[in-house]
Amino acid sequence: MLKKILIANRGEIAVRIIKACQEMGIRSVAVYSEADRESLHVQLADEAVCIGPAPAIESYLDMDRIIKTARNAGADAIHPGYGFLAENAEFARRCEKEKIVFIGPNSKALALVGDKVRSRQTMEKAGVPIIPGMKGIAKDFAEYESEAKKIGYPVMIKASAGGGGKGMRVVHDPKELKSSLEAGMREAMSAFGEESVYLEKFIEEPRHVEFQALADNHGNIVHLFERECSIQRRHQKIVEETPSQALNPELRARMGKTAKKVIQVSGYNNAGTVEFLLDKDKNFYFLEVNARLQVEHPVTEMTTGTDLVHQQILIASGEKLPFKQEEILQRGHSIECRIYAEDPDQDFLPSSGKVLFLKEPAGPGVRHDSGIYSGCDVPIYYDPILAKVIVWAENREMACLRMINALDDYVVLGIKTTIHFLKEVISHPQFKAGKTTTSFIKMYFDEGEGKKKTDENLKLALIASAFDSLGKTHVRRSAEATEKEVFSPWLTLGKWRLGGRK
Amino acid sequence: MEFEFLVDNTLHKICLEKKENIFIVSDGEKTYEADIRFISPNIISILIEGRSYRVYFARDREKRFLSLEGQQFTVQEPLEGGEGLQKDEVRSREDELMVKAPMPGKVIKIDVSEKEEVRKNQTLAVVEAMKMENEIKSTIDGYVKKIFVSAGDLVDSEKPLIELEIKE
Repeated sequence: MLKKILIANRGEIAVRIIKACQEMGIRSVAVYSEADRESLHVQLADEAVCIGPAPAIESYLDMDRIIKTARNAGADAIHPGYGFLAENAEFARRCEKEKIVFIGPNSKALALVGDKVRSRQTMEKAGVPIIPGMKGIAKDFAEYESEAKKIGYPVMIKASAGGGGKGMRVVHDPKELKSSLEAGMREAMSAFGEESVYLEKFIEEPRHVEFQALADNHGNIVHLFERECSIQRRHQKIVEETPSQALNPELRARMGKTAKKVIQVSGYNNAGTVEFLLDKDKNFYFLEVNARLQVEHPVTEMTTGTDLVHQQILIASGEKLPFKQEEILQRGHSIECRIYAEDPDQDFLPSSGKVLFLKEPAGPGVRHDSGIYSGCDVPIYYDPILAKVIVWAENREMACLRMINALDDYVVLGIKTTIHFLKEVISHPQFKAGKTTTSFIKMYFDEGEGKKKTDENLKLALIASAFDSLGKTHVRRSAEATEKEVFSPWLTLGKWRLGGRK
Repeated sequence: MEFEFLVDNTLHKICLEKKENIFIVSDGEKTYEADIRFISPNIISILIEGRSYRVYFARDREKRFLSLEGQQFTVQEPLEGGEGLQKDEVRSREDELMVKAPMPGKVIKIDVSEKEEVRKNQTLAVVEAMKMENEIKSTIDGYVKKIFVSAGDLVDSEKPLIELEIKE
């Protein structure tokens, strides 16, 4: 069993993994950039080491520094979280060489599935359905141009090395191809440290359905059913749920079987996700394997009763899977909303700054995976994800209502967030009807739909502001109290620290 | 006492008078009583005609942040000088010619050079924040008068990037 894990990440996912380590009696080592000294993951871990300046390329993406830190700290494993080095085969290889367990797939499988072009070829050969597209990376612009013409517009630019919407762009007009390719390559470079991109056919109005898989080091593979992640903005998922409204038991079984085949053909181990596009006629196409713990993993945990981070650590420790396929059941319905530091009223511009006040949602069936606290700074350097709200209920209708209440109960002051926008998404009649496609946001929320603020609430905000101005002495007193409250360890650390640690 | 506030860049007025333990509110349409108090440094409780409202509240220098039923409001006192609105109109025309960073970030590239002719919606520069690239577009047909930043610069929100000149 692993004894000490270095978490090569930040934010909510680092916090999630540190908590899993604590539950399993494993020591945790946080790494952080100079911009993250006061971040939650640094406070929660048993040990914390600064690994460089704020830009990710000089800290969270610095393999030498991270491996050296792991060695110095005596960590026997590294958990990469998602993003950063999570799907970097070179990093996995370096870990293997240094005899540090990489909590993720073996470097060979990672290289294969991480190379979306090569994995497509492998899957095509294995009889897995794929979307028409380029067989390789083009050597020059002319080749991209002719490939795009061959595939037929609209085409999609995708980063060979990554996911999460970074580097991805849709091109409708041949005239936009060049500038979009350049932008896609720059984004890929800054997000993954590699600029190669390829083109494929853009399927309009599809659903995005993915299957969670677990594979141990002994050849056992199971899937833990699907997640539907169709609600996206700029190709970034914002709402995920399971089960999908688009699948029936027969299709679910067929897709699950295909997912397991993809994992097996790739020689893949540990947790992974097989992404499919599902078209209007319920044809599904293999998209890619996300060779990491996914942002949206909690909805699977809620409906299958499995802790995926625990399983990742157990698999990496060499344990066999504790269950067989037929023992895994879906129960109830789960929805996740990603809370981003973005301003819905200003075309979702990133919003950095200080969180002046945070009230976390709570209640039966409500889970909050978060990397923020009252008083924390949200830096400009990293992904704008702050936290995730996850709900579970007996059925989808109740899960929607529970999510709406949870979002109402959730307050972040000082920076702009997507909380209210997400509430409008979940409350939308088309969402309630389960009519979720990847164009959902574009179709129903274009042109600042989130702007409508009720006159009544505006009036109350004015009354509260006037009240604050009127009671100057009171204000000064409460401002001092705010100051104190913001930096109170009881508020920032949460109640789980009260009992102390072994 | 009358108060003027800018809420998301629109001017609003409200009148609040203290009367013993309660307040008299005049919002321009109606006058009514309200029981208003701080419950904690970040929560203001308001009771109006038996209905209860909870307002989350925080302040950072001149800015107030409020949240009601998940809706967020940023409330500021109007700038000195009274005739705020007229000034705003003039400023907005100047604003149109001064292209500013919409959020804190890093300038990835500048697509134009000084004296170059530009079209409305043409990309002038690319600013990256939180790993997303944002194209900064021209709001007018005109010329590039001056460029204040170069690729690689870190910029704050509202930092002037490029000054434009209207085509005569």
